[in-house]
Amino acid sequence: MGKSHEKLLNNLEGLRKGTGLTQQELSESAEVSRKSINAIENGIYVPSTVLALKIAKTLNCNVEDLFKLPEK
Amino acid sequence: MTFFKRFLVLFICGAVQVFFATYLLLELLGFGLAWHLMNHDMMFIPGILVFVGSGYLTFSYYFLSDEQSNNALYDEFTALRYYKLATAGYVINGIGIFILFSIQDWQNWSFELANNMIYQIAAFAWLIFGVLLVWFSMGDFKESKGG
Repeated sequence: MGKSHEKLLNNLEGLRKGTGLTQQELSESAEVSRKSINAIENGIYVPSTVLALKIAKTLNCNVEDLFKLPEK
Repeated sequence: MTFFKRFLVLFICGAVQVFFATYLLLELLGFGLAWHLMNHDMMFIPGILVFVGSGYLTFSYYFLSDEQSNNALYDEFTALRYYKLATAGYVINGIGIFILFSIQDWQNWSFELANNMIYQIAAFAWLIFGVLLVWFSMGDFKESKGG
């Protein structure tokens, strides 16, 4: 897991780089700004369900592969 | 529409609001300013700018930009930034109005003082939202470049 929000661990940067997409390309496919993708990757922002599903669809993975709840 | 154009529109509107609101607030609070506006019609400038600026942003959203640009410019992360700053504005205005109420001369209260207080509150709210507009525009543009 990469840099994460305190309430949500994310693996977005790793999976995105694995598919060879840039932040800009992913943002265009997910219909948001590049800074939103950057904010999610750096744990600054927790995306909405719709955005999480769009990102997962673009990266051809499940939402659970991208995001996980931190273990208590 | 681009992030830079939006930055320009919002920054200019905000900065002009800050200038006029600060001037008005200082005048109303009794600070002896060495410089005075001679033509009071100039006080319409910030209002006209806001009308023109918001009109341009709305027009460009529907008629000048493509869907991809609109998706990037008006996404949920930008909305969150706006909500946070607007909330901060309401909180600061609430505190400011409380302070403005507290510093009035209630012993010698008159319609003139009441009128003055209403102007003070309006100028203060105007100043706060002007500052937040400048803040939003700068943060939004900075993030679009490298954030």
